[in-house]
Amino acid sequence: MALLEDRRKAGLRLSVLQYLITIVFSALVVSFWVLQVVEHAKFEEMAENNHQRTLALRAPRGLVFDRDGRVLVENRHSYSISIVREHTTDLNRTVRLLAAVLGVDESYVRDVVDRHRHEPSYRPITIVQDATLAQVAAVTARRLDFELPEVRVEEVPTRRYPDTMAAHLFGYVGEVNDTQVAEHDNLKSGDIAGQAGIEKVYNALLMGEDGAKRVVVNSVGREIRTLEEDEPTEGKRLQLTIDYDLQKATEDGFKAADEAGLTKAGAAVVLDPNNGDVLAFASEPAYDPNAFAAGIDRTAWASLNTDSLRPLQDRAVQGRYSPGSTFKMAVALAGLEEGVITPDFRVHCNGHANFYGRQFACWNTRGHGSIDLRHAIEQSCDVFFYTVANMVGIDKINKWATLLGLGVLSGIDLPNELQGLVPSTEWKREKMHDKWYAGETISVGIGQGAVSVTPVSMAVYMATLANGGTRVTPHLLKAVDEGDGWKPVPPPPPQSRIDIDPDKLQAIRDGLWMVVNANESGATGGRARLVGYDVAGKTGSAQVISNQGRIAAGRTTKDLRDNAWFVFFAPRDKPEIAGVVFLEHGIHGSNAAALTRHILDTFFAKKEKRPLPPPPPDFHFNFSDPYAHLTARPAEGRN
Amino acid sequence: MFERRLYYHIDWALLAAIVALCAMGLAMIYSTTADPTRGTSRLYVTQLYAVAIGFAAMLVCLAFDYRTFTDKSHLVYIGLLLLLLYVLFFGSVMMGARRWIPLKLVNLQPSEFAKLGVALVLAKFFGENRGAPTSTDLAIAGALTLVPLALIAKEPDLGTAVTLIPVYMAVAYLAGMRMRILGILCVCFVLAAPVAWKFGLKDYQKARISTFLDPSADAKGAGYQQIQARITVGSGGLSGKGFRKGTQGQLRFLPVAHNDFIFSVLAEEQGFAGVLVALGLYLFVILRALEAARLAKDRLGSYLVLGVLASFTFQVIYNITMSAGLAPVKGLTLPLMSYGGSSMIATLAGFGLVLNVRMRRFTN
Repeated sequence: MALLEDRRKAGLRLSVLQYLITIVFSALVVSFWVLQVVEHAKFEEMAENNHQRTLALRAPRGLVFDRDGRVLVENRHSYSISIVREHTTDLNRTVRLLAAVLGVDESYVRDVVDRHRHEPSYRPITIVQDATLAQVAAVTARRLDFELPEVRVEEVPTRRYPDTMAAHLFGYVGEVNDTQVAEHDNLKSGDIAGQAGIEKVYNALLMGEDGAKRVVVNSVGREIRTLEEDEPTEGKRLQLTIDYDLQKATEDGFKAADEAGLTKAGAAVVLDPNNGDVLAFASEPAYDPNAFAAGIDRTAWASLNTDSLRPLQDRAVQGRYSPGSTFKMAVALAGLEEGVITPDFRVHCNGHANFYGRQFACWNTRGHGSIDLRHAIEQSCDVFFYTVANMVGIDKINKWATLLGLGVLSGIDLPNELQGLVPSTEWKREKMHDKWYAGETISVGIGQGAVSVTPVSMAVYMATLANGGTRVTPHLLKAVDEGDGWKPVPPPPPQSRIDIDPDKLQAIRDGLWMVVNANESGATGGRARLVGYDVAGKTGSAQVISNQGRIAAGRTTKDLRDNAWFVFFAPRDKPEIAGVVFLEHGIHGSNAAALTRHILDTFFAKKEKRPLPPPPPDFHFNFSDPYAHLTARPAEGRN
Repeated sequence: MFERRLYYHIDWALLAAIVALCAMGLAMIYSTTADPTRGTSRLYVTQLYAVAIGFAAMLVCLAFDYRTFTDKSHLVYIGLLLLLLYVLFFGSVMMGARRWIPLKLVNLQPSEFAKLGVALVLAKFFGENRGAPTSTDLAIAGALTLVPLALIAKEPDLGTAVTLIPVYMAVAYLAGMRMRILGILCVCFVLAAPVAWKFGLKDYQKARISTFLDPSADAKGAGYQQIQARITVGSGGLSGKGFRKGTQGQLRFLPVAHNDFIFSVLAEEQGFAGVLVALGLYLFVILRALEAARLAKDRLGSYLVLGVLASFTFQVIYNITMSAGLAPVKGLTLPLMSYGGSSMIATLAGFGLVLNVRMRRFTN
């Protein structure tokens, strides 16, 4: 009986267990149902995020060619080493190890990581751009040992400027900053974008579209296989108006001026006066755009910024200088077109003249005697232009100088162009809150006083005189290849157009021709003479400081030598080329004329398919500083 | 000894379910460990051997009347204690624990066999008594359980040690332990928990439990496995990602996928459908074994079945719950499926005893 009772009880207890277990299993089924069916989408996404990564494939920037199809800017492959923190358990250890492997300072790596600390952890932090092969090898070896699984080595296209030339024209590229990301929809943090020059202006064309690669990674972040790959689209190819040979000839001239010890600074802009094509464009001293291509290091950047010669400044579009005698054609044109003078108008120069109770000296203190417009231009007679300026008045000078392109923006397709200044009564009233005094007009007549110009505006000025009144817009872009062949880019419309009376214009042109080609030994621009090509031009030597100031500053090491200008076009009657060469502290306009001759020689040789002239072994620079006696410094025997 | 008629009383359905589970386990082990570049995985082959040895052990356990085993249970028990002691002093250390006796072919893990030993000795102990066990009986049985438990916990292998508790509880319960005492014991365990927390658990064990309560607090560390387990299971969906197509297990986001988390991989690759099949098979095995306990011709037999079944059931439920990230991570394998030779052999031998009891329900 007890046995049966026992069995009954045991059976009951077994039944309890059966039900209990069945309930537990039902609960498990419900749990799995919830996880796998109800919340499936959420977990599926999490699983995908776990094992899939989207890696950016950087698009190569578009190549840049010169007007003949010669490569000016290209790309090379470089390696960048970065950390992806996503799976890092011990970031300090990684930083320490990576610094040791790369052979760089640990504090440097830490700084870089700290700077990007707040970015999402899946975004790689680039530690070394343009790593050396030794660094790449060292990291790769450690990666294979799973020692640095969170470190990535990527091959990225990097900008290359094969000939270190035209730095300010090309500009440079660099990682975008936060402001740029905010301003441009197409830029995102980490992108490499143009920061200066055409790299910046045509960034949208050059940049291309980054591709992406979706890869499967395992739990330590190692790539297992590629799921899909979206190839990057290379940036569009640009053809510039620049002529490589002319550019080289221009820079060779500056190089010679530097090597001779004349000056390291200057600018040149050479245009096709008929459409505004920029054939050559230089600003000296320059920098090496290659240094920026893979991220410029801090010391190099600092030295570029602290250099007293300011190599980052694009003097051609940002340097504002007194034009000196090169301004005289604007005064002449104002007088002619306003009917104040005729080409035969004569002034008697006895070395100085009196205006409003003040004596104004001609550079030639012996005087030019009775002189007409052509000869006044040729010999740069100051008294003649004082007189004309006084007759025309400042506002008329302003009007005609502006129509020729001075004191206004040229509209060139380069960033941060600055505006020069041609004064007017209105300007004086608005900016200086003062009335214009007629006496001030006299200095303006010879390009002194408040007048300031940029080299590029001087090039436009000469082009306008060359083409008869069309103020062309200088531009650099000639054609774009969007993948289906070159499509020419129409030149931008001129800024303004006037019809200069051909007879009056001819008088000025004649004067400019005589500057270069007059047989008299005093021809200031004779150094630019190219027999058979009727070069027309004008020199200018603009003081950078008054004589009194010069004496006061003489004991400093500051360079007080005059700035040298040479503006030109050629040939005189059917100009094909116009431009400006400017030498900061180049002393004499004739030194700039010497550089110009090589440019023009190259231009015509190329046009006529003659072999290109090599740079002359000696430009015969004139080092004699007319003001040297005013300063305490010895003349420094440079010859 | 193995009469022909006994053959007809073998529970073929139970056996089939066990074989099916073993096969699923093998498939999952193959899926998680096979390296396409090197062909068949070593672990898969090892497990295949273990299954074969396991079925041989099952045959041995079937061949003799289970009373032969229970009669010798004291010897088995003492032998096991000696082995456990040997392990403590001379066992080989792997992953920070001294659990294994290295043999030529495999590493023997005596703690896996301790469950069987305890089941045998408790069945014998309670089977000899009549009526509800007294407190003294319960205390003696408790001591019999605690000694190996302590030895295993010392290795340390808390997971396996804990599986001995259900063996004791289940057999005592079936033996007619008063519900009141059962209640008191449960209260004792609850009260002992904080003490165990303070003195008994190692830091990593504490970390596992505290991160279970809030896995995101330590998503890269101890909470990682739990989060990954849930992702693994949840991403499987209704029909799964397909054999060897799982990403979580294949790409090692889930650690020891072939072992502790094999059920997660099953859930990922075979989906809810596969989970239902596996859960159904396990439930069938457990209920069918309970049926054997009910049908047993004597108390000894049903106690033995329940003793074997208790640790099995506990491990199955705990491991599956853990696989879904719903319980703290603990090194408990899933019997019949997880990789592990000793566990497989001991489990199959245990089911040999279960089949034995059912098969011999009509013999004297």
